[in-house]
Amino acid sequence: MTATVTEAGPHGVGGAVAERPAPHQTLPDVLRERALTARRMVIDMAASPTGCHLGGSLSAMDILIAALDRTASSDDGSQVVLSKGHAAAGLYAALYVTGILPEDPVPHYGAPTHHFTGHPGPAVPGVRFPTGSLGHGVPYALGWALSRRLSGSGGLGIAVAGDGELQEGLVWETCQVAAAQQVGNLVLFVDRNGGQNDGLVADISPQPRLAERFEAFGFEVREADGHDVAALRELLEPDRSAATRPLAIIADTVKGKGLRPVEGKAASHYVTIDAARATSWKRIVR
Amino acid sequence: MTLPGRTAYREELTSIAADNPRVLCLEADLGGRSHPFATAYPDRFFNVGIAEGAMVDMAAGLAAGGYQPFVSTFAPFAALRAAESLKLALGYLGAGITVVAPYAGVSGGWFGTTHHCLEDFAVVRAIPGVTIAAPYGEQEMRAVIRRAARTGTPHYVRTGRNAAPVSLPWQGTDPPVVNWDDAGARPDRTCLVSVGEVGTELCLAVRRADPGLAHAHLCFVDQPHLELAAAELAGRYDRFVVVEEHRPAGSVGSALALLLSGRVVRSVNAGEGWPSRGGSHEQVLDQLGLNEAAVWEALAPWEERPLGAGAEMGTGNGTGKGKST
Repeated sequence: MTATVTEAGPHGVGGAVAERPAPHQTLPDVLRERALTARRMVIDMAASPTGCHLGGSLSAMDILIAALDRTASSDDGSQVVLSKGHAAAGLYAALYVTGILPEDPVPHYGAPTHHFTGHPGPAVPGVRFPTGSLGHGVPYALGWALSRRLSGSGGLGIAVAGDGELQEGLVWETCQVAAAQQVGNLVLFVDRNGGQNDGLVADISPQPRLAERFEAFGFEVREADGHDVAALRELLEPDRSAATRPLAIIADTVKGKGLRPVEGKAASHYVTIDAARATSWKRIVR
Repeated sequence: MTLPGRTAYREELTSIAADNPRVLCLEADLGGRSHPFATAYPDRFFNVGIAEGAMVDMAAGLAAGGYQPFVSTFAPFAALRAAESLKLALGYLGAGITVVAPYAGVSGGWFGTTHHCLEDFAVVRAIPGVTIAAPYGEQEMRAVIRRAARTGTPHYVRTGRNAAPVSLPWQGTDPPVVNWDDAGARPDRTCLVSVGEVGTELCLAVRRADPGLAHAHLCFVDQPHLELAAAELAGRYDRFVVVEEHRPAGSVGSALALLLSGRVVRSVNAGEGWPSRGGSHEQVLDQLGLNEAAVWEALAPWEERPLGAGAEMGTGNGTGKGKST
């Protein structure tokens, strides 16, 4: 496994420029560094006039960092689709620190002059599909994975969905198709942070025995710590070109992860803060 | 012998696939058990099951990966159930997907309202960037499918169930913006404008009864094509009766009425009723009042109905009422 080391932007503590990872750093060190920088960027976007979906961006961050590194460090045509498109701020930050997005999105998030909208669209480098209407990213990723299979590449179609998003029927319709067509190079991450817009998934529409559900659909299933970025990255390493069962990775995460004042709180779903609070939060985020 | 639209589609796509390895065929359990594409190219044929929304979204992923997906399911499921996927994949992404939608209008007859689709123009015409075709007969269908494959741009192709009319002749590769059928027509008289299988069938029947009436057939009905068509129509005639198997809202007639400012445009359409009884395609059309008599009613302010014309086409006294507006 090789690391793709990229320059980080001006999103260190208190606005200081983050250090470029040293050459001797291991890939896990690099990925953790990227995730921390990206979390600070998300806090900065929460301090923009529009605010952002903070809690879900932070919960999905380690998944995104791992998945995007998988695509950036291979030329097999793998593609990541953020199906829970409301975590756009997290995606933009993750794309930037991975070196896929050349422009720092923070100064332009939500602005009329730029494409960094509250839900991502294909005008943003590194984004192939429009997401935000939940459920669609999973079949996009399935189609992409199938295209890689047809073209003989070992590339993955990687969808990152929320656990609340699993309430959309389209997700399960797609799982049915993926298993039936034996698209083993589809990887579906579930960012299981337990929250959704109006409260807790467990209160609104619980999902008991989720792993068994995916297994019953014909998926391979892994359950993982959704904040162990190195372990998540390892799960994406095996060659899946001959796999016949799609892979579901149920990643247990914490809404607002890394930012103790909001961790696990439903109110972190959408947050707008001022600059002083952003500075304070960037000091303590981990 | 001519083929129904959906059969012509399957055969033409299979033929195209011989020279174009990027063409894929996707069906959602309504492609039949002996689809010629599946027989010829099983590795490029995918019956995804009853999963219309997933099928269109998957097609977006396949298109992004360099393929040309052609997807097909009945019109109500393509245009209504998968509407959001059409908006995002064909519209916003501009993905080179072709959606072929049989069972449009009430061609499903006795299958009932769930299998009717009188709303697809309204839905799909509202999505910019999609070429919308309602081919009449085998040759038009084949030409539209070839166009879709050649251009690689988003297409929605509406067709019926088993009707197999003979296409009107035209010159050139693609069906023209307006296919004129007005030999012997007088410029001071009303011009019939036909859309789709039923609209064209009715206009041809009226013109047979009175060859002095002009007829303009439209195969493509998306907004850019209608803007071109309107300019051409306005160059020849002042009064128009547009005939189509669709609701009045979002109809081609309503679009042409806006585009043909200063001209008189009347619409003969399927009205706003819900046919609750069974019967053949023609009988359900009768329940809706969409028949030759309705066309003559629309022409009545200016044209005299020949004795006996349209008398065999039913009464139009069903739950809905084909409207001239």
